[in-house]
Amino acid sequence: MKIVVLFQSVLGIYGDHGNAIVLQKRAAWRGIKTELVFVEPGDKIPADGNVYLLGGGEDKAQISATRTLLEDRGLFKAIENGAALLAVCAGYQMCGNTFTVGDDPTVIEGLGVLDVDTRRAEKRAVGECLSSWIRPDGSEYLITGFENHGGATTLGPKAKPLAKVLVGAGNGDGTDGAQQGNVIGLYPHGPVLPRNPGLADHVLELALGKELEPLKLPEIDLLRSQRIKAVRH
Amino acid sequence: MPASCPFSKIDCPVESLKKAASKFRFQLAAGIGTVAAKLSKLAGKGTGASIKGKIITTLAPNSFSKVLSDRYIVAVSGTNGKTTTTHLLAAAIETLVSTKDVVTNADGANLQQGIVSGISENLKAKKAVLEVDERVVPELIRVGHPEVMVMLNFSRDQMDRNYDLGSLAKSWRTAINKTEDLAPVVVANACDPLIVWVAQVASQVIWVDSGASWTRDSVLCPACSAMLAADPAGSWSCTECDLKQPEAQYVVDLDDSTLKSLDGNIYRIDLDLPGRFNISNAGLAFAAAIEVGCEPEKILEAFKTISAPAGRFSTIDFGSCQARLLLAKNPAGWTESLQLAKTDPLIMPIDALAADGRDLSWLWEVDFEQLKGRKVICTGARAQDLAVRLTYAEVEYEVIPDLRKALDSVSGQIDVVTTYSPFQEMLSMGGLR
Repeated sequence: MKIVVLFQSVLGIYGDHGNAIVLQKRAAWRGIKTELVFVEPGDKIPADGNVYLLGGGEDKAQISATRTLLEDRGLFKAIENGAALLAVCAGYQMCGNTFTVGDDPTVIEGLGVLDVDTRRAEKRAVGECLSSWIRPDGSEYLITGFENHGGATTLGPKAKPLAKVLVGAGNGDGTDGAQQGNVIGLYPHGPVLPRNPGLADHVLELALGKELEPLKLPEIDLLRSQRIKAVRH
Repeated sequence: MPASCPFSKIDCPVESLKKAASKFRFQLAAGIGTVAAKLSKLAGKGTGASIKGKIITTLAPNSFSKVLSDRYIVAVSGTNGKTTTTHLLAAAIETLVSTKDVVTNADGANLQQGIVSGISENLKAKKAVLEVDERVVPELIRVGHPEVMVMLNFSRDQMDRNYDLGSLAKSWRTAINKTEDLAPVVVANACDPLIVWVAQVASQVIWVDSGASWTRDSVLCPACSAMLAADPAGSWSCTECDLKQPEAQYVVDLDDSTLKSLDGNIYRIDLDLPGRFNISNAGLAFAAAIEVGCEPEKILEAFKTISAPAGRFSTIDFGSCQARLLLAKNPAGWTESLQLAKTDPLIMPIDALAADGRDLSWLWEVDFEQLKGRKVICTGARAQDLAVRLTYAEVEYEVIPDLRKALDSVSGQIDVVTTYSPFQEMLSMGGLR
């Protein structure tokens, strides 16, 4: 399984690298051979990856990275071929049809792999957040994270919201994130998968097209219960 | 000023009387603040510097500009190394004038209140050597007009407060631009692209090649957003515009701990502090001290006297163990501190209070994988976040949430790499604060 981390040097400012580590280890611990590829601006984006990761970055980086991805086309080919894409924070906004950055009202064309549009929110959202995600099997799974963004995201008909916000801002309308085919975007930034192994395994399952056996890691369950309790307090 | 304070009602037509009232107001506020600080210290709540600063700035709202006015100010800011550099610089400047003529905020309290509190310890001092939080720098430049401003580095730190490094840098640049003829002489780290972009607008800059290789914290050009590139010698430049590493008046050589000045002199930097980054800090402090008028040899001697600035790198005897405290506040700091930490096991207290930064995402930017083969004792309120990070790094660990119990669980010399709040707690436990 090939995991491709896109532009880590400019879109990795919140420890987004953690998502790649988690996917790789969770695959490896199940005996799946993995390859981790870091693609930097200037490199050709491989179209044969199974999972692609897009992280958060500063405004300028978000714009130039979007332009580069639109020109390269490698990511689009991969998604057409069934690869999974997990995008967080600024990366999520980049996946939409359009977005703006900071106080600048200029509308920028996004990648269009999620039917969403992002504009400036009234107020910046900073803090621990919690949302409820209904998994493909119908069970509820809590997504715990930390959000730090100034965007309000509106979903179009092709994208469905990923989760319902319990604490925090998310998209700004009571939902957080979006899913469209194998593309998932959400606001909790940086290392969202370490705290949410259920979401990590879902991304792996999308990429591999098969169900995985659960991994028992009580230390992560303990962290989850601590964070969920703290944010609900 | 609260309406209950009688001095707010003074409405005298004579300017000098007004001035006297204002001075009296400040001195009264300082007096009350000092009492409160002593009470706070007696109650075991730290040095009391914060409470003192808070009281003074509340009772005398213009106290920040007041304590800065009519003083020769040398300011130090940047993400990492502020406290140590300030201590080195203050020691150097004390070789020039008597100790009582120099005041500094030695305890690392570097917001407006901390600075007011620090200076109020010695209002007669003509020179102030100030550690300044990055967010306070524009105001300090605007109202304090520092003579010399040391700019160390910019790296990602406490992103729940500083959303965007670029915006922070821009606020410094704007402040310098606006001061015009009152602009400070800037002593700047030439290895840091963001610092260079800020400092280049100052009318007088002393560039110091800190020897610290360019990090990927600034991969995009601050001027034009194009990619930056490094030549084989490690010197950076923009691939599109003219921004590049400037030629330095002082060059630090980290391998042999020396500083070479443009006139060909080579100085040996001999510190009682660990870490290559402290040699870099000393290089910038040296350049600033020369600018203030100190003698090279005296500066170097003074540097040797600094061993545990505000408790950093100090060793505390906790009974069963002797713990060396390595404070790390952000990914760049952790990278530096992990290289210094040599013991097995290691203790790592983690917290995420406001002073630590409430977002622990940075844990995933630090290369904990390098600790494989050693054992880590995770402690502090957020020990479990580190435990999960170490699980994925496949590093052996034990979680002992209570800091005291974690320290009691080991014996002998032990390195403790810690975030800010537990660091302060250990200084208190060891009676150093």
